[in-house]
Amino acid sequence: MQATRHTPASEDHGIDLAPMLDFTINLLIFFIITTSFIKEAGITVFKPEAITAENRDSGNLLIAVRENGEIWMDRNPVEIRELRSLIERLHIERPDDSVVIIADRASRAGVVAKVMDEVRSGGIKDIAIAADPGAGG
Amino acid sequence: MGMRRRSEQAHESSHGIDLAPMLDFVINLLIFFIITAVFVKEFGLNVNRPTSFEQNKPDDAKSIQIQVLNNGEIWIDGRAVDVRAVRANVERMSAINPDTGVLLLANEQAPTGTVVEVVDQVHLGGIYNITFSTSN
Repeated sequence: MQATRHTPASEDHGIDLAPMLDFTINLLIFFIITTSFIKEAGITVFKPEAITAENRDSGNLLIAVRENGEIWMDRNPVEIRELRSLIERLHIERPDDSVVIIADRASRAGVVAKVMDEVRSGGIKDIAIAADPGAGG
Repeated sequence: MGMRRRSEQAHESSHGIDLAPMLDFVINLLIFFIITAVFVKEFGLNVNRPTSFEQNKPDDAKSIQIQVLNNGEIWIDGRAVDVRAVRANVERMSAINPDTGVLLLANEQAPTGTVVEVVDQVHLGGIYNITFSTSN
């Protein structure tokens, strides 16, 4: 008993790291695959409900519109005038981005339409309006 | 002296290479991906925006026009309708002309919640070609 315990202690490192490494690499691969670098809006708004809302897995640029007309993107409030240049810059960095506009239930349709126009003129054509799927309608 | 001892020991041990530096590197990568991982599942509705070219064009007689007023009232064909009646209206009109689209004309002050409800009802009525336009 004593003799078998002594054998690994004579090595450079006491424990066998290989199983831990296997496990860690599996975890790493999982996180690499699932990561998608979403730019969150940074605020929560009261979203409208819609039965026919589709899953937007590719939507990774979230723009929130509050009920008072404020626009939030990437955890910062932005002016409608800056939105176009911001979108243009992000579109050059990653051309396959798509936008989801998270508009508050009580926000004005005019603001949402303006945001859509600015995003389109910034180069991103894939735009959706966020809605909660469920018993709405 | 030290080098020689180290290589001898490595030769003695069961695995040939030292895994520790690789493990450090892998764990750093792992921590980076754990921190940056965001699990957001967003659901949404797709609507078209008319281009400036389409806005100049006279209204297509075939498309169904739905108006949303600033107080949230919904008008189809000159009649105020309830949001639950939108689906039936759309179904009837798409039965007459199956490849018709919907022009959703919302007032700029109209609440987005009502607009999204109308879009949802039109989808349920079987039309996915919706153009979203605003007026003041």
